[in-house]
Amino acid sequence: MSHEPSAHAAHAPEWEVSVWPFVISFGILFALPVAFAFKFVYGLSFAAILALGIGTPMIVAGIAGWVKEGLGSHHGAGLAFPAMGWFILAEAMIFLSMFAAYWFNRLTAEAWPPAGSVELPRIMPLVMTVVLVASSLTIHHAEALLHAGKRAGFVNWLVLTMLLGAVFLGMSAYEWNHLIHQDFTTDTNVFGTVFYSITGLHGSHVIVGLGIFIALLLPALRGKVNTPFVKTASLYWHFVDIIWFFVVSQVYYW
Amino acid sequence: MNTWKEWIFTTDHKRVGVLYLIGSLAAFGVAGIMALLMRWELTSIGPTLTENPSTYNVWLYAHGAVMILGFQIPALTGFFANYCIPLMIGAKDVAFPRLNAFSVWLFYVGIVLAVLTFFIPDPPDIMWTAYPPYSTITSGNTAFYTFTVLILGFASILGGVNFLTTVAYMRAPGMSWNKLNIFVWCTVAAFVLQLIFVPVLGTAVTLISFDKYLGTSFFDPARGGDVLIYQNLFWFYSHPAVYVIFLPFIGVVYEIVATFARNRVFNYKMVVYGGIFGIVGLSGVVWVHHLYVTGMADWIRIGQMVTTLLISVPVGFTVIGLVGTLYKGAISFETPMLYALGVIFLFLIGGLTGIPLAITSLTLHLSDTYYVVGHFHYVMAVAGTFAIFGGVYYWFPKITGRMYSETMGKLGFWITFAGTNVVFWIMMDIGVKGMPRRYFDYAHFPQFENAHQWMTGGAALIGVGFALAVINWIVGAARGAKAADNPWGSQSLEWTTQTPPPPGNWKDVPTIREEWDPYAYAQR
Repeated sequence: MSHEPSAHAAHAPEWEVSVWPFVISFGILFALPVAFAFKFVYGLSFAAILALGIGTPMIVAGIAGWVKEGLGSHHGAGLAFPAMGWFILAEAMIFLSMFAAYWFNRLTAEAWPPAGSVELPRIMPLVMTVVLVASSLTIHHAEALLHAGKRAGFVNWLVLTMLLGAVFLGMSAYEWNHLIHQDFTTDTNVFGTVFYSITGLHGSHVIVGLGIFIALLLPALRGKVNTPFVKTASLYWHFVDIIWFFVVSQVYYW
Repeated sequence: MNTWKEWIFTTDHKRVGVLYLIGSLAAFGVAGIMALLMRWELTSIGPTLTENPSTYNVWLYAHGAVMILGFQIPALTGFFANYCIPLMIGAKDVAFPRLNAFSVWLFYVGIVLAVLTFFIPDPPDIMWTAYPPYSTITSGNTAFYTFTVLILGFASILGGVNFLTTVAYMRAPGMSWNKLNIFVWCTVAAFVLQLIFVPVLGTAVTLISFDKYLGTSFFDPARGGDVLIYQNLFWFYSHPAVYVIFLPFIGVVYEIVATFARNRVFNYKMVVYGGIFGIVGLSGVVWVHHLYVTGMADWIRIGQMVTTLLISVPVGFTVIGLVGTLYKGAISFETPMLYALGVIFLFLIGGLTGIPLAITSLTLHLSDTYYVVGHFHYVMAVAGTFAIFGGVYYWFPKITGRMYSETMGKLGFWITFAGTNVVFWIMMDIGVKGMPRRYFDYAHFPQFENAHQWMTGGAALIGVGFALAVINWIVGAARGAKAADNPWGSQSLEWTTQTPPPPGNWKDVPTIREEWDPYAYAQR
């Protein structure tokens, strides 16, 4: 039943180490809780920027070092795909609980949308849907090219996917900006709260997806491609795409 | 490379496990001191140790949050899972060793945040439940609570992803699912629960910080929000969290009981497919019993009463399996076995006293009294901690290559066991008589002052007993007699490698024979 690659079995018995998990963890300590608490709890903006300045380079360096190490190792190769499946289960539960909070508020409300809400755009979300679906198709095609051994084609289609993702984020930012100028913000009412939280949560997943693609693209430009990780990243991107259908149907068109 | 670097930057599952153990025991010490401070405060009516009720709230927060999130869950799904699972399934390591190291260091970041509670201005004072509206209007630092939960939760999710992949794909040749140790099954189930439910808690606690610091209105009725959303999301995780703790700890107890009763596990398939699967299946539909008194439609209340009572059936299967394993066994009473038997005893009391709480008519009287506190300390807090201590004693020779002192171990057990029953039995008793929970002072209930003094004495006993155990481990690890590879004569796979196990665990990955079984003791 063992699927361990044989390269691993040949390791000499010595304690394996990696500094990167340690570096990223403490980078997260500075960049998230410490920076957030300085800014929002104690009102010390400068200290917050300082904490971000310490934490963010640690995280970036940690991820870069980890990716580099990962490309040269055979740990878990081929297992990343099923592992991503488990991870997506957890991700889906985050979205489900956000939607649950939304449904709970909406279904117990006296009137919906509550006072102060504005008319959401009708066309923009459709265009965004088309863009995101297109990006799912392009990453699928990139993967197919990689399986056919066409490295250059893979890189091109990966870049196209990233562009579509960036366009999606741009449209989302434009829309947020538009709505905020109409005085519809997170503290307008509970609809503003869930609108920005749910679209923001989804948008943050698009950003993470783009980050993963960067971590694939940079080594790929130097000729290093790890096929199982491409497959895994693509699975994550499809998930982000599918979640968007729920966001669109629940938040925009209901 | 220096030895300390080999520890700090290790990706080996055994060393990651030991790091988890050290961190979670430190957390246990901190949270235990919080409990002692609260007990000290309650020795007499009026201010005893502090004048400030908020200080008491911070102790209450730190005790609950750190015990559950910093001690029990990391010790069980961090330490035991890491140390035992790859050895039990015959793997050289977990599927993603670096991810594993990431989990443990995220756990330490969470511990750092939790400990910072005592050094920052305006520490969190919101209990571990952090109910709004208080948590969104207090001057305490709710953000630290949010991030502690998020970071520990993320570590748990990564651990779950890692271990589910490991067990699914990296078992030794011939290690079929029905040959897995009960502990492996239990932990797999706990990780499935973590993956499904931790994100819900993460969302809930994120939303309180959104509401408090970023101006959203999820829980603000004035702008269309509802505080009950938080309570539902919170308990939708935090009730299954009880099984995240229960399943691995009962798994540890199974390993100990089978070894020291020298007997097969009674009705393995009933335990796994009835007990463990049943708990996983029902765990997501009982959370509303934490909200009985908030007001809800009768059909919800009664439906949840039925599911709550129903889940005691699979839980009962797991306990019957333990008792059946003891039956006709050749039992010996080494320290780990004492703790394991202690767990069965405490869990039985805790489980039976849970039934009145499940029944909607009785719970109206018992809700928010010391009865609830006594119940969950019996069933989860102390039973779980006993299992953790028993488990550490049990695998101690394998981990350190040395033996602990049996006399000191037994002494520590009996002292803690006595203290536990003094504290929590009295707690349930005065709870039924009306002592409300979470009170800083009890001037309105002077009749309970004597009982409170007894409980403080009992708490001190608990502290002494656990301290003896930890001292015993430290001394044993440094100066104990050398341990054999398999001092208990267990049949399970983790004892077949050398002591302590080398990097990579085995010279050659073991091949499991058709007739092999982790509990293949001579039948009598």
